[in-house]
Amino acid sequence: MDPSHAPPAASEAPPAHVIDAPVIETRALTMIYPGDVTALDGLTVDFAPGVTGLVGANGAGKSTLIKILLGLLTPARGRAAVLGRDCATEGQRIRTLIGYMPEHDCLPADVSATEFVTHMGRMSGLPATAARERAAESLRHVGLHEERYRQVGTYSTGMKQRVKLAQALVGDPRLLLLDEPTNGLDPAGRRAMLELIARIGAEFGISIVVASHLLGEIERICDHLVAIEGGRLLRADTISSFTQASQTLVIEVEDGTAALRDELSRRGLAARTYQRSLLVPVGGGDVYDVVRDSVAALGLPLSRMEQRRHQIEELFRDDVEAADAR
Amino acid sequence: MTAIELRNVSRWYGNVVAVNDVTMTIGPGVTGLLGPNGAGKSTILHMIAGFLQPSRGELVVGSRPSWQNPAIYRRLGLVPERDSVYAFLTGEQFVLATAKLHELADPGAAALRAIAMTDMADAAGRRVATYSKGMRQRIKVAAALVHDPEIILLDEPFNGMDPRQRIHMMELLGKLGAEGRVILFSSHVLEEVERLSGTIQVMVAGRLAASGDFRAIRRLMTSRPHVFLIRSSDDRRLAAALIGRPEVAAVELGPAGLQVRTSDFGAFCAQIAVLARDSGIRLRELLPTDESLESVFGYLIAN
Repeated sequence: MDPSHAPPAASEAPPAHVIDAPVIETRALTMIYPGDVTALDGLTVDFAPGVTGLVGANGAGKSTLIKILLGLLTPARGRAAVLGRDCATEGQRIRTLIGYMPEHDCLPADVSATEFVTHMGRMSGLPATAARERAAESLRHVGLHEERYRQVGTYSTGMKQRVKLAQALVGDPRLLLLDEPTNGLDPAGRRAMLELIARIGAEFGISIVVASHLLGEIERICDHLVAIEGGRLLRADTISSFTQASQTLVIEVEDGTAALRDELSRRGLAARTYQRSLLVPVGGGDVYDVVRDSVAALGLPLSRMEQRRHQIEELFRDDVEAADAR
Repeated sequence: MTAIELRNVSRWYGNVVAVNDVTMTIGPGVTGLLGPNGAGKSTILHMIAGFLQPSRGELVVGSRPSWQNPAIYRRLGLVPERDSVYAFLTGEQFVLATAKLHELADPGAAALRAIAMTDMADAAGRRVATYSKGMRQRIKVAAALVHDPEIILLDEPFNGMDPRQRIHMMELLGKLGAEGRVILFSSHVLEEVERLSGTIQVMVAGRLAASGDFRAIRRLMTSRPHVFLIRSSDDRRLAAALIGRPEVAAVELGPAGLQVRTSDFGAFCAQIAVLARDSGIRLRELLPTDESLESVFGYLIAN
């Protein structure tokens, strides 16, 4: 092992720069496909350790980025590094450090999950016995028990997604790349998959990149968000910076919304109706008392009152609602 | 006008019962069709669309059965879940072909209108083979809308769409529903269903588990206490006042505020502002924690 990468003594915590070093770095990364199709256009971004959501329009360059990070595509210009290793020259080494869960259905139908995941463990360089043990452990982690001896072709979508996750985990990776992990799952399956991903991130301390179109999912399980558009960086930041409280109070009453709006305006508060809610700008603390007293005076059933939060979705909206929420 | 009506409809495949004695009515506006995988959602959509005959029961669209009744296709548009698009056609050719099959008076204009509605004008000249999944979905929606149908059935229309496309499709369906069309769509993404429509039909294991406005459904679950989070200027004093109320079952005082359990949602909501005002306590936040569609759906599945 390279001496500069020697593990710290057990009693010491790793130095801060090791913890904070980005797991993925790209610098002016550009990819042009034959026919002059630009998939990435000078993308410069760092992915911090932890769980990061990767979002972007279809065609924004997400898949291209993933292929470059795996060392399967050579960029036209710029560079990318995963865990400090250059993607163009150390692709094979990177692939031993990454677990990758592809989006598309890629499982062979006529082998059992145990056989398949063991095989993937062998391919990642594990000896036969270790591969078998690690496969059993990964399958247990993703919640596949007796079914793991059955042929994959007989599995439901949810079970197949779990097998795909298990094969990504089998090589004991330091980074997981998950491409649309909840695709095709029903609500219970989605929730189970999200909990699993959050648990892997928290318990194993593995950094995870989750590519998804579902911003609600990203908000639920990720610490950071990287948004790309047209092959460029749209924004990279912590999730909490996207979802800060705004200076708007959301009020919901079970009935009498119009009466409440009139009463608020009589008391000098300009309320705006939005779907089932009334929106009131928060000026000072008095606003809360005016709302409380108006609701009480009219005897209305108050079911919600909260400061509106910004939503990640505003990144992709350019209409009035988003502007008003600011 | 009632648009779609199922009366005691069952459908089985051999010994497998996919839909079991379902009675439902779907009127104008947007309705979400929900349920776990294998609950019978697609079978319901296919029966409504006239592709499958009910094994038992009665299913009418407008006032006539949809089975062996091609006339309904003048009024009904279907967006199937599968990629049912010819890859060698351009998007425009595909939508135009659909318009011609409907024998529309001006198929070219109809195709252009449908393509514009789904925001596909820029890509309509490209072959479908080059489309992303979200674009294939949208061209399928354009084809389903080309004859301006009153009834639109969509099986997982948001699948594969990116955030912008999802926003656009939600707005489009909302607009079509507001025009008085009958929109029935299935989806697994409950946040989106909640935003698009409060009206749901929930299938569990082939049966209809619940139907109507999800908030009203939640109110009927009296065995599940409602939980609110409250932050105020004096949580301890508010807690004392709350626990004196008959509709409050439990109050927990924590660093983040008060957690209040109530068995009577209506009575609690009607009292909370009065109680705070009379105690001279400022209410900063009142959050219902298990009223979302996700909670309601979870409870329905668990039952």
